[in-house]
Amino acid sequence: MSTPLQVLVVDDELAMRESIAAWLIQDGQQAAKAEGGREALAMMEQREFDLALVDIKMPGMDGIELLRRIKEGHPDTLVIIITAYGSIESAVEAMKAGASDYLLKPFDPEHLMLLLEKMGRQRRLMQENQMLRQRLAEGQMAGFEDMVGGSQDMLKVFDQIEEVAATDAPVLIVGETGTGKELVARAIHNRSARSFGPFVAINCGAQSESLLESELFGHERGAFTGAVKARRGRLEMADGGTLFLDEVGEISQKMQVSLLRVLEDGSFLRVGGGQPLTSDFRLICATHRNLPELISAGEFRQDFYYRTNVFSVTVPPLRQRREDVIPLAEHFIAVFAQETGKVPPELEDKARRALISYSWPGNVRELRNIMERAVIVSKSGFIGLEQLTFLDEGPKPGSTALSLAEMETEHIRRVLQAHGWNITQAAATLGIDRTTLGRKIKKAGLRSP
Amino acid sequence: MTAGGAPAPQVEVVPLGRVNSTAAQVVAANLQALLELDAMVVEPWPEPAQALVAARGQYDAGIIMQELATPQGGPLRLGLMGKDLCVPFLTYVLGESQLGGRAAVMSLHRLSEGEGGSRAPRHVMLERAAKVGLHEIAHVLGLEHCRTAGCLMRFSAGLTTLDRLHMGFCPACQRDLTRLRMDLPARAPAR
Repeated sequence: MSTPLQVLVVDDELAMRESIAAWLIQDGQQAAKAEGGREALAMMEQREFDLALVDIKMPGMDGIELLRRIKEGHPDTLVIIITAYGSIESAVEAMKAGASDYLLKPFDPEHLMLLLEKMGRQRRLMQENQMLRQRLAEGQMAGFEDMVGGSQDMLKVFDQIEEVAATDAPVLIVGETGTGKELVARAIHNRSARSFGPFVAINCGAQSESLLESELFGHERGAFTGAVKARRGRLEMADGGTLFLDEVGEISQKMQVSLLRVLEDGSFLRVGGGQPLTSDFRLICATHRNLPELISAGEFRQDFYYRTNVFSVTVPPLRQRREDVIPLAEHFIAVFAQETGKVPPELEDKARRALISYSWPGNVRELRNIMERAVIVSKSGFIGLEQLTFLDEGPKPGSTALSLAEMETEHIRRVLQAHGWNITQAAATLGIDRTTLGRKIKKAGLRSP
Repeated sequence: MTAGGAPAPQVEVVPLGRVNSTAAQVVAANLQALLELDAMVVEPWPEPAQALVAARGQYDAGIIMQELATPQGGPLRLGLMGKDLCVPFLTYVLGESQLGGRAAVMSLHRLSEGEGGSRAPRHVMLERAAKVGLHEIAHVLGLEHCRTAGCLMRFSAGLTTLDRLHMGFCPACQRDLTRLRMDLPARAPAR
C-alpha cells in the first residue's frame, strides 16, 4: 500500500469531524481532528500534515482565514475546503486563496475517493521535488536547467553556459555522442535574451546534402520534384531565437560556404527562390568530432570554424565524471517512475557498482535509456543487475540465429558505432553512399545512442 | 437473539425492518464461506426510526451501528436494511462499519440498480450484497482499505467499481484476515 496521507480534519461539528476522520482511518490514512482554526494551527506546529480538510464555516477563525494562515506557515500542506451547497462564491474565494480543491457537503463518495488519490499524487510529487531540492542544497547533485551533475567538469560547463548566455556570440559545443550537447544549447538559449524566441534544432548528420539545404533554407513551390508547396526553412523559423546545428562536422563544404554567407550578411535565399530573406538568430553548433583535425585533413573550412567557434564549451564524457553516474541514475529513476506512476525503485549495491564501473560508450543518453528500461521492468521496488541492460555487453545467446535483413541491420549498427555515428565514414566503410546509408538507417529504425 | 441457551454465532446478520430474506441468507452464507466465520441470520429488528435523517430521506449509518454494537465478547453484528444509508459527510453509503469494532450496517437500497435506470438481475443484486457484507465485516475485524485491483477491500463508492471487485481478498488481505480471525472467540458464549 502507498504511504498514508497525514490528514487534519478541521470542523466545529463533532459528528462531521468524527465521521470524516473515522472514514479516512478506515481508508488507511492517518487522521487527526481539530474543532477550530486555533487548535488546528497549534497541532500543525507539533507535526506536519500532508492535507488539511477545512470546513469553511466555523466560529472564530473561519475556514478561509485558516487556509491563509496554513499557506503562510505551512505552504507544503495541501488544503481542501469543505463548503455547503449554495456557497460556491466562498469555494471560489478559497481556491484563489490557495486551496487545492473544495468539497460540497455532503460529498459524493466517488468524488472524495478521486480527490484523495489526486492529493496523494500531488504529495508524492512535492516530496520528490523536496528531495531533489535538498540533494541540490547538500551538494550531492548539482542541477542546471535539465542537466544533472556535481562533478568539477560539469560545474565548469554550467559556469561556461552562464558566461556565454549573456552574449549573442556563436557557440561551438564539443562532446561525444550522448553527452547532452543539445541540453547545453537549450540551457544557453533559455538563459539568453533570446529565451522568448524559438529554439530551432536540426541534426545535420542525419540528412543528405540536398535535404539539409531545403531544411535549412526552405524552398519555393516547384523548386524540385516533390516540392508541391513553398516551405519555410529552419533559418526563417529561428528568427528572433536560436538555431542549433547538431553534428555540424558532417555538413559539406558547400553548405558551410552557404551558411557562412548567411552569418556574414544575414540574408539568404530559399531553394528555388529569388527573393532575399533575412533572419536574426543566434547560432549554436555542436559536434562530436575533432574539427581542427578535419580542417587539417581538408574536410572542414577554417573560416567557417572560426566564425562558429567564438565561444567553445566542452561537455565531458560520462566515464570522466563517474561521480555523476549515481545522481544521474537516481534522477532518471525519479523521472521515469513519475511517468509510469510507480514508486521510485531503489538501486541495489551491485547495480550501483556496475553503473559506476561501466565504460558508458553512449554516455548520459545510454544511462537514460538503461534506467528507463530498468524502471519499467522493475517489479520488486529495487533495481538489481538483472534489470540493467548495457549496450556494450557483447553478443547475447541466440543472437546468431538472425535473418539476412537482421544481419544487415546489426552490421550497419556496429559500423555506425565504430565510427561514432559519423555517416560519411560509416558509408565509406560499408561501401555505399551517404544517401543509401541514410535510407537504410531510417528503414531499420536505427538511432544514434 | 439465539434460541434458548444455544451459544451465539460469531456474526449475527440482523435484518432491520422489511428486508429481502434471501439477501440476508446469502450475506450470512458468504461470511461463513469466505471469512470462515460462524454467521447466522437472526430475528429482524424494527426499522431504526431514531436514525432517520428526515431532510435527506436516508438513515444515519453511524447511529444504527451504535444500536447494533454488542459489548466485548458478544457476537459481531451486521445490520441489513432495505432503506438508503448515509453518513453526515457523504451523500450515501452502501455500507458502513466500525473499524476493529463490534458492528456494521449495509443497505440493499441501491444494489438492484442496473444500467440506464433499469433493474439489475437478482443474482447481480445478491452478489453485490455478499460483497458489501464481506467488505464491512472485514473492516469490523480490523482490515483497512486495500489498493490492490479487484480485492474486496478496495473502496468502491459506486456499483460500477463494486461490480469490478472479485468475490475474494488479495493474498495480503487474506493473510491479515487469517491473523485477525484468530483474535475472535471460536464461538461467542450465549448471552
